Amino acid sequence: MKVIELKNVNKIYNSSEVKVHAVNDVTLDFTEAEFAAIVGPSGSGKTTLLNMIGGLDQPTSGDIIIGGTNLSALRSSQLIDFRLHHIGFVFQSYNLIPVLTAKENVEFIMNLQKWPEKEKNERTLELLNAVGLGDRINSRPGKLSGGQQQRVAVARALASRPKFVLADEPTANLDSKSATTLLEIMEKLNHESKITFIFSTHDPRVVKMAHRVITLEDGKVISDDIKGMPA
Amino acid sequence: MKDELKIAWRNLWRNRRRTLITSASVFFAVFFAVIMRSYQLGSYDHMIINFIESFTGYIQVQHEKYQDNPLVDYAFEYNDSLVDAISKLDRVVSVTPHLESFTLASSGTQTKGVAVIAIDPEKEKEFSNPESKLVKYRITDEAISQIGAEDQLPEKIFAKLKQIRGRSYSSAARIALEMGFSDKETQQYMPGILHHTGFSNGYLTARDDGILVSERLAAYLKVAIGDSVILMGQGYHGSTATGLFPVRGIIKLPSPEMDNKLIIMTIPAAQRLFDTGDRITSLVVNLNSKSERTLKKTKVLINSLLSDENTTSKTWYELNPILYQQIQGDSQTGMAMLGILYFIIFFGIFGTVLMMVSERKREFGVLVSIGMQKTKLKRIVTIEMLLLGGIGLVSGLLASVPLILYFYYYPVVLKGDLDNTMEDYGWDAVMPTAWFGPYFYWQAVVVALMVVVATIYPLRKIGSLKEIEALRA
Repeated sequence: MKVIELKNVNKIYNSSEVKVHAVNDVTLDFTEAEFAAIVGPSGSGKTTLLNMIGGLDQPTSGDIIIGGTNLSALRSSQLIDFRLHHIGFVFQSYNLIPVLTAKENVEFIMNLQKWPEKEKNERTLELLNAVGLGDRINSRPGKLSGGQQQRVAVARALASRPKFVLADEPTANLDSKSATTLLEIMEKLNHESKITFIFSTHDPRVVKMAHRVITLEDGKVISDDIKGMPA
Repeated sequence: MKDELKIAWRNLWRNRRRTLITSASVFFAVFFAVIMRSYQLGSYDHMIINFIESFTGYIQVQHEKYQDNPLVDYAFEYNDSLVDAISKLDRVVSVTPHLESFTLASSGTQTKGVAVIAIDPEKEKEFSNPESKLVKYRITDEAISQIGAEDQLPEKIFAKLKQIRGRSYSSAARIALEMGFSDKETQQYMPGILHHTGFSNGYLTARDDGILVSERLAAYLKVAIGDSVILMGQGYHGSTATGLFPVRGIIKLPSPEMDNKLIIMTIPAAQRLFDTGDRITSLVVNLNSKSERTLKKTKVLINSLLSDENTTSKTWYELNPILYQQIQGDSQTGMAMLGILYFIIFFGIFGTVLMMVSERKREFGVLVSIGMQKTKLKRIVTIEMLLLGGIGLVSGLLASVPLILYFYYYPVVLKGDLDNTMEDYGWDAVMPTAWFGPYFYWQAVVVALMVVVATIYPLRKIGSLKEIEALRA
């Protein structure tokens, strides 16, 4: 089943002197439970493409359709609400809310969605246990290592059972061991929950683990290799 | 809401030092603003009570030309039905007749121009109550010597007593206030002081032909109780007003200006002196409210009751334009000072807001990216700002309460040059604070307004926030 459809998506940045075609006529589909990596050199358009899929940036032309909803048809507040209910985000620099504990950070999304207290607690503990942080639920981000923070970020991204998770260079700030642990957790969650994961990355470990690798260059898809079936 | 409050509160303490500095600036602004304003309004109240509630009243009924030309020629006839009708109006406490004029007062070789206020001794107790102003204690050289000889006063207390040598008092409490006594010292030393400084005095009866003389005037004329004073002036329509009046009592007035020149007598005695028949120059109306709205409303109602078209009612600020302007001018200067104080504090708060927005732009971007509506984010920031202002506001108000209470009950008594300067202006040199009123609660409104204005900036920034740009910040 198609989760995301990109149809002839273009993103052009007009600076005063030059016109930059950051994403050039990209047409792609992502199906349920994919574990996909978008790779390419710096400036190839990976992050721009990911931001547009996440509704954080608007394409200059083309359509991005998620679960039958065309993102360009949504107003700003509808788009925020859409992200809340359908998309999980994992950022390169974790971006947890520093004044909240690990548990509160995970609960944050569910609070926005007004989950009942009991279900919220169960889901939070389930996710934090799944990412191996069941014993650090009351620690604030400042007291956690980079790898632990990123695992909390993954738990937060999955909290509301989104259709898919967008992870922008999630391992870039992590040491090798933490990165491997994180990827293993993400792959396990992908396998168990059937949630689609899309990464933008330079990390060969991610590429190795991904079932599908999309390569971008100068904003164009130059290859789309499917290494295996979705989990 | 609980969630928003929790995040806002914790955000506030992310930069503990900055929050404390900003809150401290609000605290000091509120604290000093409240104390300054309380002293200012307390002084006005004191002035009004001294002057308005003792002499002019809040409203006076008089001949329309009397204020510009205060002659007994503009005396008017009145009757009890008018007094009754005015007394029944809302907020009216008392209606007392006065016959006022100016004469020369002479005793021995001393002569001075004086103000004569003729009263009904019983009714006047409801208004200025001259009986309560009768001198009861005098700090004479003789009394000081006796106290020195018989009472074992500590040297410091005795030195203070010498500083008030020559003064007269109508209450023991005022002596204790000027001596700066604590409750314990009052109990310990006042009985001895009162014993040696006691002064026997007298009041007027309804048809008395004697007079009460203000303390400073009595000292100038060198008269005491039982002596006589000659009054000479102009009576009704050019008649000569002359009479010899025995001194029944000496009164001490808080306003030094009045204490230098006042003689009080009964209305019948004054009507004979000035040959005015049954006429008086004013009906003094006292109210239980100082509000301008009440004054204006009551004035209109009184005017509607006046059958003599030559009489009219005037408010205290029409009767005392100089005092009113002094108060207004001083009040506006005070307000300007407060404005400057708050203006400076506003920029302190605004600086914090600028830093906060700049530091947290990326965080705002993340929150909106993961699904927080901008309205909710705006609410969190607004709560944060209100808490920031609220901490300073509440602590500033709370810190000012004990000081206001203390100086309300134990006002500052100015000494030395300040005392002289105040008295030169005709004011009693005492500075009490004002009781809690709108000035106190308005600080909350001002701080809330400052916070709201300062909050406009982050709210606008959040409103125009582009997630992608904020995430790159």
